[in-house]
Amino acid sequence: MEKILDCLGEACPIPLVKAQKALEEMATGDILIVGIDHSCAMKNLPDWAREAGHNVEIDEIGEGEWDVVIEKS
Amino acid sequence: MEKSKKGIDLDSLLKKEWSYTTGAVLIALLATVLVLVVGKSWGVTGVFPFWGGVILEKIGVNADSWSIFNGKLSKFVFFKKFANITNVGIIIGAFIASLLAASFKIKMIKSFRQVVAAVIGGTLMGIGATLAMGCNIGGLFSGISALSLHGWVYLVFIFLGAIVGSSILKKWFM
Repeated sequence: MEKILDCLGEACPIPLVKAQKALEEMATGDILIVGIDHSCAMKNLPDWAREAGHNVEIDEIGEGEWDVVIEKS
Repeated sequence: MEKSKKGIDLDSLLKKEWSYTTGAVLIALLATVLVLVVGKSWGVTGVFPFWGGVILEKIGVNADSWSIFNGKLSKFVFFKKFANITNVGIIIGAFIASLLAASFKIKMIKSFRQVVAAVIGGTLMGIGATLAMGCNIGGLFSGISALSLHGWVYLVFIFLGAIVGSSILKKWFM
């Protein structure tokens, strides 16, 4: 399953907490894509997800806009 | 961004978040240079009441007679206040950094809640910083770096405030 979480326009730490909540309800192997445009979420979201053991990839989709792709493991 | 031929990793330098340690060391160095050159510790919010006062005077309120200003408002010149120079510098610096990282973006307001939270939060922060005679820069950072006890007291209470603030945020925005 793939889930998209639109966090554009949301400031820290909202994208992180929303992503944590969304991942809780997902199964192993599911993909969560979090759209962010707040650069500090570029640090705390991938940092947390990697520490929690998930696979993380960051796509820069535009100026100041990123998709953080998290695969739950 | 690609690595330049000279081996400087521009991507790490300009685009990726620096580590907290790098940031802390740089801020400490710059703040020390500021004290040495200007003779005053770094502050941000101390000038904000003056901004508000000037606006109030413009719309006909005699704010200068208030005890917080006591006649200082009429002598207020924007760029004679050192904190105003550093504040403008922060905005210009952040702008340049976001351009260098190619990540400048004008963000949209997402919900009416954000507006309400920003107005209430901003007002509370302004009142708090003015009553405490400093924000987390002038009160906390400059206080602790000057080996003053008030910085540590500030740290304890800003931490408590952050706990309350984040639980409100969680309830309201999630």
